[in-house]
Amino acid sequence: MEFIDYYKLLELDKSATQADIKKAYRKLARKYHPDLNPNDKDAQLRFQQINEAHEVLSDPEKRKKYDEYGKDWKHADQFEEARRQQAASSGGFGGGFGGGGQSYTYSGSFDDDTFSDFFEQMFGGRARARGSHRGGHFKGQDYNAELQLRLSEVYKSKKHTLTINGKNIRLTIPAGVENGQTIKIKGHGGPGVQGGPKGDLYITFNILNDTGFRRERENLYSTEEIDLTTAVLGGEIHVRTFDGKVKLKVKPGTQNGTKVKLKGKGFPKYKKEGQFGDLFITYKVKLPKHLNNDQERLFRELQKTGL
Amino acid sequence: MKKDNLIPAEEICIRYKVERKFVSSLFESGIIEIVKIEETEYIPDEHLSEFERMIRLSRDLEINLEGLEAIHHLLQQIDKLQQDNRRLRNRLGLYE
Repeated sequence: MEFIDYYKLLELDKSATQADIKKAYRKLARKYHPDLNPNDKDAQLRFQQINEAHEVLSDPEKRKKYDEYGKDWKHADQFEEARRQQAASSGGFGGGFGGGGQSYTYSGSFDDDTFSDFFEQMFGGRARARGSHRGGHFKGQDYNAELQLRLSEVYKSKKHTLTINGKNIRLTIPAGVENGQTIKIKGHGGPGVQGGPKGDLYITFNILNDTGFRRERENLYSTEEIDLTTAVLGGEIHVRTFDGKVKLKVKPGTQNGTKVKLKGKGFPKYKKEGQFGDLFITYKVKLPKHLNNDQERLFRELQKTGL
Repeated sequence: MKKDNLIPAEEICIRYKVERKFVSSLFESGIIEIVKIEETEYIPDEHLSEFERMIRLSRDLEINLEGLEAIHHLLQQIDKLQQDNRRLRNRLGLYE
């Protein structure tokens, strides 16, 4: 556990006044507030840090303790003990670091560890530090998680076990989920306050596509090579679809770049069981690079016919 | 109309310690939706997270209603751009 320089975090020096601290905090909070930086984990972390710095430096008692014992935070317990003894003997001091000034916390989607270990060790837990001005919450905290899957894993609805905050959650991921899509799992977030409902769990999917198919929502796109003779004379070829090969007729005179649609051979439509998108295949006519003598002779004859 | 997913505006004001005017202003700005059933106003629960966000911004950063409107609008644009960006990345994925 390392010492955290709260002054440095707020870009202040040790002589900063309360007004300076407030001003510096406001400036940085506006810059890094998680609500203003959606999906930016760095900003979220930075906001937690400046929030913690503000929590300490804006409270004269905490600041005094930090200034005196900050770098020697390991001795903070001894310091506390001495204070308690002093309080007991005088009969007046009994609360430690309760209450205090206004607190700016964001509880929307943070993990439980909003404050650093350093803070916890020195100031004894988060509970007192969290904002009391938001005491009206009745819904629990929302959790965010990221799940990485292969494209082939979301072709069919499948059960997955996720570990969220040390708790295993088994859920079915519907077929057809998109890369970057976020789904809400109701009631799998933090516990509610004062008997309120639990928060929700938001899962964002990171889907790796290593299949050779390009995917756009429920449609798939691929390129298939066909021989020159097949393109000219027509014929049958085997093409790859997502769930196996199918036989396909190629019309005589098929041009390079011709697109064909295989209806219902695309990707499953999200939350529409049994419905699939289409597969679009682009033909790439393979021109021979090397001809043997017979082939060259035949081509020359074709040439003479005006082809 | 079903009330399962609706939270009375009155209750929201008490729970979140906000004035009724704040809720009305967010509705007038188009930031949240209000549903009226038999003279009682409700907020659909899918608007709750946006409502909470506006409370946080208002309290944490002391942003006034005009600011909240602007932020709401810009965040919607960011969301749209991120979606477009994601879609384009998905389309380009095959060639990367």
